[in-house]
Amino acid sequence: MAGIDVGGGHGGKRSTNHEIPLIPFIDFLLCLVAFLLVTAVWSQMARINADARVPGPPRDEEQQEQKPEKQLHVEMRGERKFQLVWKEGSTVINTIDIDKKQVPIGDQGDYKYPELAKKIEQEWKQNGSHRAATDKKFDQAVLHTDNTTPFSDIIAVIDAIYSPQRDYAFGGKTEQVPAFNVTFAVN
Amino acid sequence: MSQKALSRFHQPISVPGRRLLHHVPLKFVQKKVAGGGGRSVNQEIPLIPFIDFLLCIVLFLLASFSATGELPIDKNVKLPKAENVMDMVEAPMVAITGTQILVDGAPAGSTRAIEEANRLQKVDELFNILKNKRELWKQINPGKDFPGVVILQVDRKVPALVVKSVFQTSAFAGYPNVSFMVGRLGDGSGGGEH
Repeated sequence: MAGIDVGGGHGGKRSTNHEIPLIPFIDFLLCLVAFLLVTAVWSQMARINADARVPGPPRDEEQQEQKPEKQLHVEMRGERKFQLVWKEGSTVINTIDIDKKQVPIGDQGDYKYPELAKKIEQEWKQNGSHRAATDKKFDQAVLHTDNTTPFSDIIAVIDAIYSPQRDYAFGGKTEQVPAFNVTFAVN
Repeated sequence: MSQKALSRFHQPISVPGRRLLHHVPLKFVQKKVAGGGGRSVNQEIPLIPFIDFLLCIVLFLLASFSATGELPIDKNVKLPKAENVMDMVEAPMVAITGTQILVDGAPAGSTRAIEEANRLQKVDELFNILKNKRELWKQINPGKDFPGVVILQVDRKVPALVVKSVFQTSAFAGYPNVSFMVGRLGDGSGGGEH
């Protein structure tokens, strides 16, 4: 067993050697492991962000007149096709049609739109305005949905919009973040 | 069968014991093979590596320990899954289960009015609860910027009209950063905060 041997203990003196009580220590560690295992949270939950675009408090630089930025409007109201529309203010710059092809994932009814994701990534690489890691702003995507569209469909499309990733420098380190901010169209 | 009859044959079963070198008629060999110089059968259990292993487990479990416990998810809510996701954060949780809207488990209105009106609507009860939560946060954390994050826990079958109404109500109540709670799909690295 583990102990501390400092020599001595001869000539009638008391020995200064000590045994470390390893068994209670191991018992304590095992109790700690059992407690932590019981209380451990093995959560697979995550979140997908959306932005309500409520104006914040006014800032000096925002007082100036700003040129309207390009926005990607994702129209998912069609039955067979998605429509990607690049707009600058109210001016339509470009329109692209993509077939609605669901690719099922797993057996719980989840699916995704890989073709839409691929096309959005291509479009962002060609037309995205905020690509530098030091750029604090993000390109804006506006999602147009039908009132009856199920939530799972909305998430599949938002997931596709978030597929293009860009570098983002924050607090001295750079990390990969989605290139778009998503918000919902009012109508 | 008698003993005499048996002795005529080779005994197939013999008394177990040591055989090797026992026939050598030398004293020191006899002593050695009799077990006089045998190794001790006592064994030390290697406790130090065992403790190291336990300490590693404890450190790993402490690192992944969550003091807040498991996220409350209603059994009736089936969340959709997504790939490009972020890690969860501490924020008020708005759940839509069936026709009920809950904020951190407490009732905060119904979706029935939205479905009947068939247009975007502000949910007054939800608005008041979220507004109160926001004011409470500001009182507790004076001088700090309010993060304005709210997490929506929505069943995969809930129609977009209800989702958008709750989304808009949350924004009006001062929570513009709305996140949807989803299941993590595959190896989504996530990314950070916007």
